[in-house]
Amino acid sequence: MKKRVTLTFPKRTIQMPVAYRLAKDFNIAANIIRAQVAPNQIGKLVVELAGDIDELDAAIEWMRSQGIQVSTANKEIYVDEEVCVDCGLCTGVCPTEALNLAPDTFKLNFTRSRCIVCEQCIPTCPVGAISTNL
Amino acid sequence: MKTIDQINDKIGKKRAVVWTVDEVKTKVAELGIAKIAELVDVITTGSFEPMESSGAILNLGHTDPPIKIRSCTLDGVPAYAGFGAVDLYLGATQLVDFAGEIGDGDERKERGGAHVIADLIAGKGVTLRAIGQGTDCYPRATFDTTITKDSINQFYLYNPRNLYQNFIVGVNGGDRQLYTYLGPLQPRLGNAVYSNTGAISPLLNDPDLDVIGIGTRIWLGGGIGYVAWEGTQHFPLQKRGENRTPIGPGATLALIGDAKQMDPNWVRGCYLKNYGPSLMLGVGVPIPVLNADVVARCAVQDRDIVAPIVDFSIPRRVRPTFGLVSYEQLKSGKIKIEGRTVRVAPLASIYRSRQVAIELKNAIDRGEFLLTEAVSSLPRDRTFIPQDRRQMPSLLED
Repeated sequence: MKKRVTLTFPKRTIQMPVAYRLAKDFNIAANIIRAQVAPNQIGKLVVELAGDIDELDAAIEWMRSQGIQVSTANKEIYVDEEVCVDCGLCTGVCPTEALNLAPDTFKLNFTRSRCIVCEQCIPTCPVGAISTNL
Repeated sequence: MKTIDQINDKIGKKRAVVWTVDEVKTKVAELGIAKIAELVDVITTGSFEPMESSGAILNLGHTDPPIKIRSCTLDGVPAYAGFGAVDLYLGATQLVDFAGEIGDGDERKERGGAHVIADLIAGKGVTLRAIGQGTDCYPRATFDTTITKDSINQFYLYNPRNLYQNFIVGVNGGDRQLYTYLGPLQPRLGNAVYSNTGAISPLLNDPDLDVIGIGTRIWLGGGIGYVAWEGTQHFPLQKRGENRTPIGPGATLALIGDAKQMDPNWVRGCYLKNYGPSLMLGVGVPIPVLNADVVARCAVQDRDIVAPIVDFSIPRRVRPTFGLVSYEQLKSGKIKIEGRTVRVAPLASIYRSRQVAIELKNAIDRGEFLLTEAVSSLPRDRTFIPQDRRQMPSLLED
């Protein structure tokens, strides 16, 4: 199964090769969606973890024991259909095509599962219809 | 051959056959042009896109004692007051005056004249602050109030340039992000934006403006409007293809319409990041089927209309281009530039443009919207004059 989580690393754990440990110890594929990691700073990582359900739980427990904050409440993109005018300008800056226009009706579609919450669509929207839920 | 009078007669009896331009394009292969010309009386076209050369004329009514307004803001947005005493013109792209004090900074930065116009149309109250000139007949020095569309005399849009006949495709070949009137353009050809709706765009279905002229009644923002004049930068002499559609920005129209009748759903303030505010406006244009030629021109398809891909990274009047691309390619969402695939997005709402054509069709079907004969043709010989610095000969001699 897949689970998308946000990891927050305190400064002391920033050196830990987490993706390697997840793969080696828990047989989990960690697909990095977004990352903000710099020396001597608090790091943030949004990852999609794919693996056996028990291994996923064990991995999350292990990360927590290492002082890594694991959050499953993720920031999500929200499109307000009342405000949206279906212009489609956001589709050009969406790197994963989570936002696209239906080829026949040209109405805006949002496929949440493809969204990596890069937030480029938010300032692009001319009518302020896109926001994050957090 | 039909006349406008005959068509209006049928509209009055609710017997007119009205098709949207989409229906014409879909059915032309099956039915043929002659058959459609026989069958259909009116073809409706529509557009919903940011049109920044738009603005509203307002007459406030006289105060007691009276005021001749020298300067004025509406919700902090300055309106032009250089007319008679209480006449104002509020431009869509006019920015909030930061010397004012309404609202907080970030939110206000993204508001402009367009938002104030849209708020008035939506029935909201707008704060007016005026400073008078103080003359013998208009002694009042200041006037502060809240206005709504119902508390003022005239409130109509007069838009100097709307409904561009074709436009460009914007890209950014440079190495930093650009914020343009087409929205954000990412560096190294990260994305592309087109702003015309191609084959459904009103003026591309009457490329030589044979049936659309001064005085043509239109559907503007949900109310009744008219073609007032040629638009600014009207450029009918733009190079054209075999089907007479221009290969870049061509004709434009100046439009006028009663804002009091308009529907907030079709008049929306918008903001293009780090560029400025603009007005998204629905415009519907009826095309009377006077003869088969009219239908032939409305049968034009996206594959037969092209626009130039323009590089915004060179901020000059004439920017380099990457050649022409068809609207069929643009609407696929991806175009090829120098062998690379680039995501391309529209700025005009194609969905809502079609809705406007349907709204106009419904209004005609209900017998509420009659067609007008143009009073005069739009000019076909305008060149596009660049502005360069000139000096008066007498000054050169000094």
